[in-house]
Formats: sequence, structure tokens, C-alpha cells
Amino acid sequence: MIAPIEATGLGKRYGKTWALQNCSIRVPVGRIAALVGPNGAGKTTFLHLAAGLIRPTTGEVRVFGRTPQEHRLLLLDRVGFVAQDTPMYSQFTVADMMRFGRELNLRWDQKVVETKLRSLNIPFDREIAKLSGGMRSQVALALALGKNPELLLLDEPVARLDPLARREFMQGLTEAVAENGTSVLLSSHLVADLERVCDYLIIINGGRVQVAGDIDDLLAAHRLLVGPRIHEDTRPPGVEVVRAQHTERQSSLWVRGKVSVLPAGWREETLPLEELVIAYLSAPAAGTLAKPQLEVA
Amino acid sequence: MLWITWRQHRVEGVWVLIATTLMSAAAIFVTYKLGHPGCPAGIPGGDICLQADPAGTVAQWILRVNLVNYGIVILPALAGAFIGAPLVAREIENGTHRLAWTQGVTRVRWIFAKLSLLFVPLLAASAVVGVLEVFLIDAMGSQPNHWNWFDQQAPLTVAATVFALALGVAAGAMIGRSIPAMAVTLVGVVATRFTLAVFVRAHYMNPILFSSHDPFSLNGSLGADPSAWWLDQPSYQDAAGHTIGQLEALRITGGGSPTDLPTYWKDHGISIVQYYQPGDRFWTFQTIESGILLALAIVLLGLAIYWVTRRVS
Repeated sequence: MIAPIEATGLGKRYGKTWALQNCSIRVPVGRIAALVGPNGAGKTTFLHLAAGLIRPTTGEVRVFGRTPQEHRLLLLDRVGFVAQDTPMYSQFTVADMMRFGRELNLRWDQKVVETKLRSLNIPFDREIAKLSGGMRSQVALALALGKNPELLLLDEPVARLDPLARREFMQGLTEAVAENGTSVLLSSHLVADLERVCDYLIIINGGRVQVAGDIDDLLAAHRLLVGPRIHEDTRPPGVEVVRAQHTERQSSLWVRGKVSVLPAGWREETLPLEELVIAYLSAPAAGTLAKPQLEVA
Repeated sequence: MLWITWRQHRVEGVWVLIATTLMSAAAIFVTYKLGHPGCPAGIPGGDICLQADPAGTVAQWILRVNLVNYGIVILPALAGAFIGAPLVAREIENGTHRLAWTQGVTRVRWIFAKLSLLFVPLLAASAVVGVLEVFLIDAMGSQPNHWNWFDQQAPLTVAATVFALALGVAAGAMIGRSIPAMAVTLVGVVATRFTLAVFVRAHYMNPILFSSHDPFSLNGSLGADPSAWWLDQPSYQDAAGHTIGQLEALRITGGGSPTDLPTYWKDHGISIVQYYQPGDRFWTFQTIESGILLALAIVLLGLAIYWVTRRVS
């Protein structure tokens, strides 16, 4: 099966700054993949490259096997994209936006959009400018889903929503894509929201890919080891230390891999996703060379 | 795309309709009034004589402030700035290009649809006003020299509209922000038209040299050929063909009564000379200048399309 997104050595430079560098990612088909990283990590740049909005400086990105910059005619209909801050024509009503989608997309499914918006009690005659943040995001998502896309790209879709609206949005997304097996790549810096929804994780930091892999595999492969204070240079055998924290009496090690025999006085904890992400984000050098999914495969 | 473009730009559409209607109405009204003069024959009432009733006063006012004549020069620039410049710039400014360009329509189709839906009504509007203006100029018959109204003629009005819109769209696409793009468009249109009118227009074809020993033959440049465009000021030449001052010319010929001057001048080989473009070149010149503006417009549109499809975002 052709991967929805496959990037090799992808890089984008603005002036002298690399927004994204040497990025190789394969987004698996039929999954909801999360693109995680701090602000300015290159998430938006990657999504814009995949959506064909910008051209790479180095390397290439292929969407369903084709470069989106060259094959717009073939790809535009198959890819739904919701840009950051959900840009829409603020003077348009919700109904106008639906007509916009209908006139510009061959595979448009009016019923899907109408049903979704009705179930959310979003009035069709309201202007986009007058929608609440949550409604606005839902309309943007509905419009992207109306394209009946095979790949859905969402750039920080919940960043500006309150927790309840975030949950509703994520729920709506899960339901919608579950039916069609749509592949999704969504970026976020709010990890807590992703755990329930996403099953694949890509961490990028400082323009480089740090981690990419199945979330279950990643969770299974990482442990937090807590024990008596050890020297800062000590490396336990058989595991790779992602991050280490030392207090006067105690050492905490976020590690990848399994320790066969725990030394006396040490205990092992599983890592919640958020802890795992933070461990990598706070150690930008970790994970960039060896890719975890190769080890756990 | 037709509906989307209309939905997005209907406010501008209404403004164009209002401006076109006002200009057309003013042109038709004044033309009609000029065709029905108010003063009885024989009364020296100046060039234009309109009835003293309210309608005549209004027509007189429109003529005095040159509403139609100035409007027809200003409106294309305004259309370029207020309609052309934001066409792409506002999308980029609001980020909606990321919405529009990820729908199932390629950017090439998107920009071509936008451009055609922008150009067709505005070209129609400028053509209507331009043609009405030609009738108006004809009605102001006592000022027969069309060269004075060169910038207001229909071909140039249409070409200027195309040029201003193209400059606006290109500036908007390249700058990506409406206000600076509007400023660039306004300055660009004014500078281009000024440069063409003041520095270039006289050289489209080699001017012809008028030369006469009769110092009164030019009669303020109008005597020799009232339909010609007289360039610069008349000057004087001595027998050797050197340019001399007017005082020098008079000194050489000495005194003598005005009626004798032609004979005197002929005897001394002195002539009055001035370059001019004859009246029958008027429409050729219109074609040339319109062609220049249209060629510039095509380059700018190419640039705008290239920028939208290849460069932006």
C-alpha cells in the first residue's frame, strides 16, 4: 500500500533559517498520526509541504506516491487540509462555505457536512466571523471532511479551543475518519488531547525528526527508572537514556529499551504519553540518530 | 468559481456599478445639454453656452470641475488599487489562500477564473464610459483639438484599466499585503501614465518640422494646423539654420510695420519653426500608447500568475 505521506531528506529553509531539516517520515495508512513538537519546531512547515502549499528546499515529500507540488490536479481532491487558525472567509455564512466546498471539489459530499454541522447545532445562516472558536473549528473540519479525503492534514486544530471543545472536536474527528479509513496527520503541542485519539506519534524538534512510531510500541518501549542517586555519567546497560534527572538522593532515568534485571533499590514505571513526549522534547539530542521504531519492530 | 468570486467581491462589484452608472449618467447628461445650447445664435457666450436652468447649472458645474474628464483618468487607477491589489493580497493576508489553494481546483484555474471574472466586467465598464467620453468630447466641439483629451479617449481608457488591474494583481501577489500593494499600484499607475504622457508620447513617431517666414503663421500654434499637437515652443532660426532668440530675430529684421515682417523675414532668411505631430496621427498614437499599456499588463499578469502558481506561501 502506498503511504499517504512519505518524506525523505525533506528540508525547508527560509532565508538563513532552516524551518525543517533532513526530515524523513512515513505516515502509515489508515491511522491517526500526531505530529508533536514545541512551537516553531517545523510542524506547520511539514504540513504545508505535504499539502503542496510550499516547495521543499531539499529532499522531497510524496503524498500517495506523488509530489504534491507537481501533481496538484491528482492530489488536491484527495487531500483535506485545515490550516492553522482555520482560515475561512469571515463574511461568508456557514452555508456559503459549504457552497464554496461544493463548487471547488469533485468528490464533495454535502450530506456528510450537513449532517455533521446539524448534529453540532451550528446554524447554517451564521457568518463565519460570528461563530465561536469551537464552532469555527468544527466547520473547518466538516469542510475538510466534505471533500471525502483519503488523507486529512490538520494544523493545530484544537490549539485555541477550551478543553470541552477540544474533546468534542477530537471525538468528531475520530468518528468521521473511522468510517472511511481516512489517514490523518494532525499537529499539536497539546499532548494530552492526542492520547485518546492518535495511534501514531511523530516528534519533531528544532526542525528535525526525533521520534516516529506506533504509540503503543513507543509506550511499551519506554520506561522510567527511579533509584538511588547515581553518577551523572553512569549509563545502565542495555537501554538508551533519553533523559536523566538527579536530585540529591535520587536519580530518574527516562529510558528506551528493557532492563533485564533491575538493580536493587530501583523501580520501573511505565510512561504516560505526555511524559514520554516531554522527555524527548527536553532532550533535543536524543532519538535523532536511532529511530525507535526500528528497534521495537 | 463564478459564484465564489461574486460572493467574495460583490461589494467591489456594487462600487464598480455605482461609479460606472454615475460616470455614464454624467457624460450622457452633459453631452445632451451641450447638444441643446441655451444662448440664442449670435450672442458671444464663450465656448460653451448652456441654459441657465438648474439642469444647465449642473451640467455647467460638471464641465467646470471636469468630473468626467478627471474621473476617466482616475478611476482605472482606483480600480487597480482597490480591486486588483487585494485580489490575491487579501487571501494571503487572511491566510485564506491556504484554504482556497487546497481545494480541488488548481491554482492556475483559480487565478484564471478570478482574473477573467475581474477583467470582463471592468473592461465592459471602462469601455462604456470611454465611448461616452468620446461623444462628450465631440460635443464640446469648440475645442476641436483631440490631443488635449488624449488620455480620456476610449482605447486608452480601456488599456489603462487593464494595466492598472494587472499591476494591482501582480503587486498584491508579490507583496502579499493589501495596503502596500494598493500604494504601489496607485503610484505605479500614475508614474507610468505620467511618464508616457510627458516624456514618451511625443516620440512615438518622428515629429514634423513646421517652418515659415511668416512670424504670425503659427498664431499660437493653432493657425497652421488646428488639429495638430504642437510640441514645445516655437523658436526662430537665422539663414544659417541656427536657433536664435526672438529679440535677435527682431533685431536682424530691424523695424518695419507688422505687415512687412513676412517680407523682411524672407529677405533675411529668418523663419519661425516648431515641431508638431499632425492631427491624422491621433488614432495611431492612441493605438501605440494603448499597445504599450497592454503589453505591460500582459507582462504583469504573467508575473502574477507565475507568483501565485509557483512562489507564494
